[in-house]
Amino acid sequence: MMRKTICMFLTALMVLGSASCSSGKKKAKVEEGFQPALDTSVKCHIRIAGGYDNFEALETEIDRFNKYYPNVELVYTKVDDYNNMIGTVLNGNDAPDIYVNYSWMYGREQYKASIDHAENLADPALGLDLGCIRKNIILNTENGTLPMVPVFSNTYGMLVNKDLFEKEGLNIPTTYKELVEVCSAFRAKGYKNPMMGFVQKETTSIFSLVNYPYFCGSVANDAEAVKKLNSLDASAGEYMRPTLEKLVQFVNDDCVDLEACKAIENNYDAVILRFFEGDVPMMACSGDTVSGTKKRESRSEAFIAKPFAYAFAPIPVTDEGSYFLDMPNLQFSVNKDSANLAMANEFMRFLITTPELNEMAQNKGLMSPTKDLSFNNMYAEFGAVPESRILSPEVIGLTDDAVIQLRMAGYLVATGEMTIDEAIENYGSFTS
Amino acid sequence: MQSSQNMRKFYIIVVNVIIMAAILVFVVLYSRYENVGSYQRQIENFESTTVTMEHVTENYLEGEQRICDVWARYINSKDMPIEEAAAYIRSSHVLETASAHLISLDTLNGLSTRPKLGTTDDYVVSYQRLGLLDDVNWIDDLGKSINITRAFTNPMNGEQSLAFCNKVTLYDTESGKAKEAVLLRVIPISELEEKWFFLHTELMNAELSLIDSDGDYILKGYSFKNSDFFEFYKSYNPSDPESSRELFARITSTTGSLSMNNSHGEECILAYTPVSAASGWTLLGLVPSKDLRVRNSNWVLFGVVSVGLLILFVCDLFHMLYLNKRLQIAARKAESANKAKTDFLSTMSHDIRTPMNAIIGLTAIAEKNPGDEQSTKEILRKISLAGNHLLTLINDILDISKVESGKLSLSPLTFSIVETVENLVNISQPMIKEKNIEFSFHINQMEKEYLYTDQLRLNQIYINILSNAIKYTEPSGSVCVDLREEKSEKPGCVRLTYIVADTGIGMSPEYMENMYTPFSRQVDSRVNSIQGTGLGLAITKQMVELLGGTIDCQSEQGKGTTFTVVLDIPVADRQREEMRLEPIDVLIVDDDETLLQTASDTLASLGASVEQAGTGLEALGMIEHRHLSGRDYDVIIVDWKMPDMDGLETIRRIRSEIDANVPVLLISAYDWSEIEDEAREAGASGFVSKPLFRSTLYDKINDLMGKESGSIEPEDDYSDLKGLNILVAEDNDINWEIISAMLSMFGITTERAENGRICVDKMRTAEEGSYELIFMDVQMPEMNGLDATREIRKLDRPRAAAIPIVAMTADAFSENITECLNAGMNGHIAKPVDVKLVIKEIRRAKRGRGL
Repeated sequence: MMRKTICMFLTALMVLGSASCSSGKKKAKVEEGFQPALDTSVKCHIRIAGGYDNFEALETEIDRFNKYYPNVELVYTKVDDYNNMIGTVLNGNDAPDIYVNYSWMYGREQYKASIDHAENLADPALGLDLGCIRKNIILNTENGTLPMVPVFSNTYGMLVNKDLFEKEGLNIPTTYKELVEVCSAFRAKGYKNPMMGFVQKETTSIFSLVNYPYFCGSVANDAEAVKKLNSLDASAGEYMRPTLEKLVQFVNDDCVDLEACKAIENNYDAVILRFFEGDVPMMACSGDTVSGTKKRESRSEAFIAKPFAYAFAPIPVTDEGSYFLDMPNLQFSVNKDSANLAMANEFMRFLITTPELNEMAQNKGLMSPTKDLSFNNMYAEFGAVPESRILSPEVIGLTDDAVIQLRMAGYLVATGEMTIDEAIENYGSFTS
Repeated sequence: MQSSQNMRKFYIIVVNVIIMAAILVFVVLYSRYENVGSYQRQIENFESTTVTMEHVTENYLEGEQRICDVWARYINSKDMPIEEAAAYIRSSHVLETASAHLISLDTLNGLSTRPKLGTTDDYVVSYQRLGLLDDVNWIDDLGKSINITRAFTNPMNGEQSLAFCNKVTLYDTESGKAKEAVLLRVIPISELEEKWFFLHTELMNAELSLIDSDGDYILKGYSFKNSDFFEFYKSYNPSDPESSRELFARITSTTGSLSMNNSHGEECILAYTPVSAASGWTLLGLVPSKDLRVRNSNWVLFGVVSVGLLILFVCDLFHMLYLNKRLQIAARKAESANKAKTDFLSTMSHDIRTPMNAIIGLTAIAEKNPGDEQSTKEILRKISLAGNHLLTLINDILDISKVESGKLSLSPLTFSIVETVENLVNISQPMIKEKNIEFSFHINQMEKEYLYTDQLRLNQIYINILSNAIKYTEPSGSVCVDLREEKSEKPGCVRLTYIVADTGIGMSPEYMENMYTPFSRQVDSRVNSIQGTGLGLAITKQMVELLGGTIDCQSEQGKGTTFTVVLDIPVADRQREEMRLEPIDVLIVDDDETLLQTASDTLASLGASVEQAGTGLEALGMIEHRHLSGRDYDVIIVDWKMPDMDGLETIRRIRSEIDANVPVLLISAYDWSEIEDEAREAGASGFVSKPLFRSTLYDKINDLMGKESGSIEPEDDYSDLKGLNILVAEDNDINWEIISAMLSMFGITTERAENGRICVDKMRTAEEGSYELIFMDVQMPEMNGLDATREIRKLDRPRAAAIPIVAMTADAFSENITECLNAGMNGHIAKPVDVKLVIKEIRRAKRGRGL
């Protein structure tokens, strides 16, 4: 008995001794779901090129990918003047293996290289889970190839201060009528600016954010109208009338104080920091701007002093409800001439899945391109929009030039520089 | 008791374990201390390496900037149009990958020294969309500092690049005026990365980055994340804004190192040092902490120490258990030995008191009846027997004490095996006779008479075994001794095999297991009635082993025992001269066929013609036949004890019926002293004892045939001793009286010397031939016997050197004998003295003198 006790004591002593000297390093927990298809010990260097100064959300994904392929070095590189330079970069010595691409480059000669260098990601042999992405934003070329897949999506809407709504006992509006009522109610409660937005330029101004979804809704099912609008024929200006009338109504309904909005210097930092002041219940902005909120929380003394809950919601521009303008934000292509094509495709196979895309979108603060938006409270309101009211400008087929006409017309009318009729008459003559 | 021992054992183990644990803890702590020290040194090394890299970087940057400065100076000195300046630089290019751009500040357009990618003649370059030259205030005047851009995309080939800059003045051909421009020496970052890494192999995972005062990366290592270093640090190393600001101020202004997490949450060491050539720039080195920690050797150390201690502990544990077990066994043995000794002492007390009681009691009886001569004789005989038994007992006790103390040693000397056997038979005879045991003693091939070994020990061995056989054989049983000489494997030796077989009580297997253990006696009612010390076999075994022999025993209870002793004994240099009888006819008569055969062989080897007869009647027939044919036997040898007709009757009838003159020898294995008279009356010419040695037969036959024999000694005629004078050195009055009286019985006169000194003086002053020999006691006052002998031998007198000196002492051990011989004595007689031995020694001395 005593010998047994001594043996146990000694064993315990040795185990304790050994444990005390162990490094305590635990084996990295390998994510379930993704199964590596290549030799996980392979060493290679993958370059990913984009226009962002930094892409921390992507670096996080790279770290996650490195759990499977620890010896693969993925590096994100910012290319200056991206849209104009990517073609040159792809033809040069520093050509990336994966690069950011845009579907609006389809058919444009100056961006031909960016499309031509891209691998067809619809090839089933690559094994990408394209089914996880909303159909609206998977945009094939005319010949049916898929040079790029969206990794983020974008939309227009408004940041809402949920604490203020809760404090004042109000609900986030879902129809235009409710919007006007909520604004009135806030104003009655002493809020000078129930709704604000950027107004200094036409680009992503509050006017564009309001009238673009409305305009898409008005021509979505009218191919003839789209065709005419794309031709920039002056006669097509009439198609803008309902949209411009709605915009004038929005301005006249005192939802926004344009003078106060003019103080917001840009459509990104300034918009966010103004919203973080905490006295604006609703701030119109794009999804791009929303992506910058998280980082700027620490830069706003007001927000640090008095943080609040907020979310991004569609702007209800009709009495029938809101439109969810579903647009691809950032799309990834694989350079078909990559020296490490197999590993580049392996990374894409890893990334194009609901969990990884959602993870990256959440880290970036942008809207995920996947069908499941419920995972992110910030964008959950958009998940509640009925499918019939989800619009895709790319699917509708409006060209950038046609959209510029609307954007300029709307801005000039809203700011009182032009009447609705004048704006309609000048359709096709506006320049950015 | 058992519980207390267990507790003590447990405490010892616990203390051992605590010591082991303490050593291990010390090793671990010391290793960690060493690790910390080593780690700190590695960090300092990393810091200094980073500083070295800063020097390398600085040299490189200065070199590149200097090239740009040279170009700019030349351009500024010449009022060159942009095309001419571009052509000049183009002609100065050495590096294939480097290029230069001349950008007009008013349009941010200009010319490159290398054509646009995919073209051969398009040198136009625009920086309008790069945002790099919108503000050029950061570019210092020529030669003042290093002016380097951030990493940017070269608009001509899309490569990520850095540019060293200088402001230059160009000549505008259109306006005819000077215009401000910027000269950029553009280097691909890939070019830089190939050269910019740590050389040390242990820092192979270390990375470098170059940041400006805002933390923005100028050059960025792979593990450095985010767009600027400060953002990177804050993302993975949460801290309050104030601490962060202090930290960043420290990083951008001093040289040092700190610990931080990288994007994997892995602990890293960041080394930082300002780049002195470029204001506000800082060189950063980042390496995983684990690369700077060397743990393997400590693990090995810990492992080795742990395993070593464990092995030591286990070995100690088992050794301790083993020792405990041995101690227990030893304790049990000691206990058993003590018990045996106690029992032995008790037995000895009884055994010593018994003969002492007899001696004292009988002496008292004799004193009361001094007139009864017959009774006194009987009492004295009994006293003698008791005294002898007491002497044996004391000798045994002394021997075993020497055996036990390991002090038993050998004192070899030349001796006659014939005498030894004769002595053996003589000693045994009284017991054989008393118990009426059938006794036979066969010898075989005994050719070497003189051997060289410790005779005393050999005697003891043979006597012990034989006396045991006789002692434990009941009346009418038999004891048979067989002694044979064989060839030995040891050079110069003969192998003596001594076999004693009896039909005695035998031994139980249990007793046989311990029969050689001292103080052991078989528990048997028959044995208890037999006197013995229980030491005999133990002494015998020890002595056999001391002589390099073996002893074996086969025994069955109730049937008997056979002991076999095999000894290899060196042959003495001295041997008898060749023995050869004249051609004679000999008849040997015995019912023992073995004896007939061996005796016939022996006689034949002596040159006699031998005939055999198995009975007295057969012998008579053969003698008569010879007699009638006129060829009488020269000698007839007849055994005493034979069935039908014994030896005496046979001799009687030979004398009466055939021949009155033929020499007849009577042989017997028994004591024939009692039948001596009857035998002589019957007509026996002489007697010879079994066993029949070659030399014995030779001597006896020669004696009968009227020839002189060298070794024949008169047995009962002491006339030759009359008139001898012997000097006796003896301090004890009684002993002196005994020896004096004893010798006077043989007509020998004695003189006494009370101590060694007187003895020497007497020898010095005595006339030549005054003393036949000296009996010398050893332990005496003033001068002991040994010193006295040495003094006598040194005397300047011829007789003093030659006179035989025989020790007569109670120091009876073999080493005492050796000591005496070494001192110059010629012999040794142990007290109490055997008168036969005394006479033997006197005769030997007499022969030696040729008297």
